[in-house]
Amino acid sequence: MIRIEQDAWRKMVAHAQVTYPNECCGAMLGTIDGDAKTVKVSIELDNAFEGVQQERYELRPRDLMNADRAARQQGMDLIGIFHSHPDCDAYFSATDLKNSFPWYSFVVISVKNGKFDHANSFLPNAEQTTANEEEMEHPAVSPAA
Amino acid sequence: MAKVLIPTPLRQYAGRNDSVEATGATVGEVLDSLTGQYSELRHHLYSDEGKLRSFVNVYVNDEDIRYLEKDSTPVTDDDTVSIVPSIAGGHRGY
Repeated sequence: MIRIEQDAWRKMVAHAQVTYPNECCGAMLGTIDGDAKTVKVSIELDNAFEGVQQERYELRPRDLMNADRAARQQGMDLIGIFHSHPDCDAYFSATDLKNSFPWYSFVVISVKNGKFDHANSFLPNAEQTTANEEEMEHPAVSPAA
Repeated sequence: MAKVLIPTPLRQYAGRNDSVEATGATVGEVLDSLTGQYSELRHHLYSDEGKLRSFVNVYVNDEDIRYLEKDSTPVTDDDTVSIVPSIAGGHRGY
């Protein structure tokens, strides 16, 4: 279960919309209580993919390291990654799975025609052979957002 | 001893610690010390051939060891070693 708080969610959606038609990416910081994660802060990160960014994203390891450091400084943990799918649904593709990392939650945000459409969260298994959809709670997105 | 920062997904294999003190004069020695303390970590960091997995990035302070001396990169007691996974994706491939 992952719950995303208002300010973190607002920034995630804004990042996905502003970077459209490219895929965006970022880190989610928060707290863990058993199987439940709460995202309190989101950090917009650069898509470092050197090819067609409408189809792919890549996190710069240095950026992920800095996001982890920021989490530690704020007494939180880096608990997941978010990225967007422009003009397609928020599924977890084979490419997403193959290049993921177990335990992190992966929130996928669908942006269609530049506007938020829907989102899902996924948890890759330890072998990265499959990812289960994770129950997610997030604030509603205003049509004017 | 150097401080090794453990990313959240690997803490379950490191006694639930977010950092571990490890001995060694090089990155290779420090990671050996780490996996000597927590043997389950070895499988997640190294291939069966004993090489650091390609999706595992290691930094000494702010420097990526791939651009330094890789496993032979010197480490002092004041250094922080960070383990950072490579993460990417894309909607094609569904």
